[in-house]
Amino acid sequence: MDAATATATPARAFIGVSEVWVPEGDRLVHAAGDYGAHTAFEEASVRTSFGKGEGLPGKAWAEGRPVVLKGFDGSYFQRTEAAKEAGLTSAVALPVFDGETLKAVLVVLCGDDETTTGAIEVWAERDGLLMLDDGYYGAAKHFEWVSKHTHFPKGQGLPGGVWAAQTPMLMRDLGSGYRFIRSESAGAAGLTTGLGLPIPVPGDQNYVATLLSARGTPIARRFEIWDAREARVGRDGGAVLVDGLCEREGALWNEENPKRAQDWQGPIGKVLGTGLPLVIGGAQIAAGYSSMVALPIHRDGEIAHIVAWYL
Amino acid sequence: MQKLVVIGAGMASGRMLEHLFEAAPGAWDVTLFNAEPRGNYNRIMLSPVLSGEKSYAEIVTHDEAWYDTHGVTCRFGEKVVGIDRDRKVVIGEQGEVAYDKLVIATGSNPFIIPLPGHDLDGVIAYRDLDDTNRMIEAARPGARAVVIGGGLLGLEAAAGLRLRGMDVTVVHIMGHLMERQLDEAAGYLLRRALTDRGIEVCCSANSKEILGEDGKLRALKLDDGTELPCDLLVMAVGIRPSVALAKEAGLETGRGIQVDAQMHTSDPDILSLGECVEFDGQIFGLVAPLYDQAKVAAQTLTGEASEYIPREVSTKLKVTGCDLFSAGDFAEGEGREDIVFRDPARGVYKRLVLEGDRVIGAVMYGDVADGNWFYGLIKDGTDISEMRETLIFGPAFQGGASVDPMAAVAALPADAEICGCNGVCKGQIVAAIEAGATSLEAIKATTKASASCGTCSGLVEQVLAVTLGDDFVLPTAKPICACTDHPHEDVRRLIKAKELKSQPAVMQELGWKTSNGCHVCRPALNYYLLADWPLEYTDDPQSRFVNERNHANIQKDGTYSVMPRMWGGMTTPEELLAIAEAAKKYDATVKVTGGQRIDLLGIKKEDLPHIWADLNAAGMVSGHAYTKGLRTVKTCVGTDWCRFGTQDSTGLGIKLEKRLWGSWTPHKFKMAVTGCPRNCAEATCKDLGVVCVDSGFEISVGGAAGMELKETEPLAKVATEQEVIDISVAFLQLYRESANYLDRPYKWIAKTGGLEWIIAQVVDDLDNRAALIERFDISQSVYQKDPWAERATPQYERAWSPLADLTKEAAE
Repeated sequence: MDAATATATPARAFIGVSEVWVPEGDRLVHAAGDYGAHTAFEEASVRTSFGKGEGLPGKAWAEGRPVVLKGFDGSYFQRTEAAKEAGLTSAVALPVFDGETLKAVLVVLCGDDETTTGAIEVWAERDGLLMLDDGYYGAAKHFEWVSKHTHFPKGQGLPGGVWAAQTPMLMRDLGSGYRFIRSESAGAAGLTTGLGLPIPVPGDQNYVATLLSARGTPIARRFEIWDAREARVGRDGGAVLVDGLCEREGALWNEENPKRAQDWQGPIGKVLGTGLPLVIGGAQIAAGYSSMVALPIHRDGEIAHIVAWYL
Repeated sequence: MQKLVVIGAGMASGRMLEHLFEAAPGAWDVTLFNAEPRGNYNRIMLSPVLSGEKSYAEIVTHDEAWYDTHGVTCRFGEKVVGIDRDRKVVIGEQGEVAYDKLVIATGSNPFIIPLPGHDLDGVIAYRDLDDTNRMIEAARPGARAVVIGGGLLGLEAAAGLRLRGMDVTVVHIMGHLMERQLDEAAGYLLRRALTDRGIEVCCSANSKEILGEDGKLRALKLDDGTELPCDLLVMAVGIRPSVALAKEAGLETGRGIQVDAQMHTSDPDILSLGECVEFDGQIFGLVAPLYDQAKVAAQTLTGEASEYIPREVSTKLKVTGCDLFSAGDFAEGEGREDIVFRDPARGVYKRLVLEGDRVIGAVMYGDVADGNWFYGLIKDGTDISEMRETLIFGPAFQGGASVDPMAAVAALPADAEICGCNGVCKGQIVAAIEAGATSLEAIKATTKASASCGTCSGLVEQVLAVTLGDDFVLPTAKPICACTDHPHEDVRRLIKAKELKSQPAVMQELGWKTSNGCHVCRPALNYYLLADWPLEYTDDPQSRFVNERNHANIQKDGTYSVMPRMWGGMTTPEELLAIAEAAKKYDATVKVTGGQRIDLLGIKKEDLPHIWADLNAAGMVSGHAYTKGLRTVKTCVGTDWCRFGTQDSTGLGIKLEKRLWGSWTPHKFKMAVTGCPRNCAEATCKDLGVVCVDSGFEISVGGAAGMELKETEPLAKVATEQEVIDISVAFLQLYRESANYLDRPYKWIAKTGGLEWIIAQVVDDLDNRAALIERFDISQSVYQKDPWAERATPQYERAWSPLADLTKEAAE
């Protein structure tokens, strides 16, 4: 990994805003967010709450599935004016369910322009195959078209691999080496790193979300996958870093001596302790990054994995 | 500075150099040869590179800067062509290098099975980065790959190729995957996980030939004739130490380069380590011992006293989402004891093998958190007597939790069928419970579950208990044996409901407490599986009693009885002559049986294949006098000869016997057809008897004339022979499908609450009767084969011959 080159090149962010909504009574209230320079949108957001079915977070809660929304005008999106002023035009809501119980909704918002490339996708199982439910692609229009006409059997490609293993996966060099038609297009779009994660929801439906990052306008500069299953870490709890990639520190995995996090210690420990997604900015973030999103994945009554991305 | 030349830049020599530079910085002028055009990388992480979950850059252990920093002269991509020990020089393709000390770390070569076609374009081994890149290059979505070898490397290759979009089949010669690291139970779970990824797995499959077209790979042919079309064939069947260079240099070699505990070869100035060496008869393929050797070799070079001591190794598989751990020795053996924990809901299996108060082996799948702790106990030989009771639960557990016997039922999905008779699923029962049906009787009334044959009542009660918790008191049921908490009825229903098609699958999904069952449960499971899944399950002779295994009844003196089938009790002069000749030839005692057959007693085991061949040649087949299956159909002479005969009882008996023979049943099954109510063929004490009357036929079932004496109960009165045959087949199939193993029909009928339900199934409901007959015929397509003909072969003759004549040796 050429850290010097990577950090020296200023890049636009693909995601403009990340925020966490948590249930309080019968409403979803604002819990955390990273709004960057979009202070007006932040002010509008922290005052807001959503009932079940209301707005984007409420829709993800009510429908029990991840939701992609492109274009806010005339939609159920409730902060349209503030978003428009901030230049945010699309959003993805990822619900965090622990069995039947909603723990939180993570919402990421992106600005629609012709310069940012990346993809946030939601794949859903239909007739034994994973089909694209919807996705936000920025300027990667050809890749979007290809993705809409692609499906993945179980075990194949990043979405199919995540679906089969029921575990997050981090793929390298998306554009090279793969012979999927989608990969050729990914390479052309400059997409390099792909994080795939299962999105458990009530019922039997399978959803997989993918975050595909391009070098020029990265979704993140650092990705981490933590394994927190008792079957892996034992009864003492905590989590181990099973995979990760960082533009500044290179490979983060260590087969012989993986990094550990303990409950309530550090940002990952906080996610372990609360079971909720975390969005933070500031000095406590690893490797000198300015913002971090950590998303827990609950399965079988425990936090199974945590994925984190940093910018 | 001393001159050190190292041949091979793999993980072992790389680790050795790290130790050496740390212990003696600047002391050695190192030249490093590597046939690959690159330095040391983490070879065991090639599989994630293949799958795309790692990049090559991430697995480089030593980059150019590292070699520069330590002053290593790198001669990568250059093969060493010889070692001149007299002049102490290594001869590379580009020239010689002198050494004071030489380290040979040439690693291993992948073993290529010399099948016809192994040199076709598209056939590759899996060893290094170049192989990996070739696979990545060849992997196209929709293309087909076959991987020969279900070991660690083969499975990692299969998973990687699958992620790359290929349709992948793994061909493995052994009965279960990773048999060197896993037992059958863990192998089952691994196979299930791979199948879930869309990978096809063929075990007990022997490759015969690689087929090509125009010099390019087309398919792999197995010895059973199956052709597996493929565009890529990966051989991952093991490695061989690379010893050629050392051998040419005159160093002592066996399977590998022979080294002592200081890693010296037979030349004290030459050391060797890694996969190319043989130490104390052992060769090495996993990384842990290589790293131990690296440390010792570095210490030997620096003059420090050190000794290589092989230790137990542990194994992990690098397929994302497959958590397995294996260490030590887990073979069954005398004086060894198993501790087994299974959690069907989480897909967890853990097994510890104890010898005395020491753990000597551990296998776990699905929950590997305590793997390293168990590994430590094995390595250290820790006395575990104080924690024996809770050992399986790991270091953090001291409370003594027990396995939940209802875990299997709790894990059943809502659409799993609990009551086969009435097609009632778990979800319907749960809904009824939630609507207020809180007893078995209420469930019967509201859903009809267990309202017919009643064999699923135990399961319904478990659903009640799981749903209601402490509000429902579960009646105790007698389990099959100490290996399980489930009674026969539950196991039969769950095999169907969960579509369990192998013994490891049943034991895992139903939470067996032992790793491999026992002499009580294995025959029962074997029967249930072959009865329910005749096309999918393969009969396991090792799960049969000795008589069924040998296809003859063993007698008190160790000889066997042989009884040919006589259809309907009829025979011919030719058959009798053949029997007489066989009796004389094999010195048999001849006995006429109550089942209208002739029994040849006193046959030696080694003569069995011969006498079977002789009787086969006369047109006779096994009478199955030893099986849980159809024995005889006894008949009287009927209308052909008897003044009182009302129908052709002999002809009908022969038809029935020819239709039903060969089928396995829960217990032995005896029949008779008698030509009139005088009942000369004693039809009314059989499992199924037919009494011919003027108006047709009276069929009755559930008789017994053994330890218990019982008259049959009427099942049906019919007008035609065809109806007799259809109802008999349907009855036998219903018995096969729903009776407990070792229950004769009269016991089964009693457990179903009488004949009412059975009559409804096989007499009244014509569609159901037809369905039963169809399923019986499917089973017969597999099992109606003469076991004598299959075994009267030279192969069996060899297998059944005594190893030595011990009586003579004893006499001498």
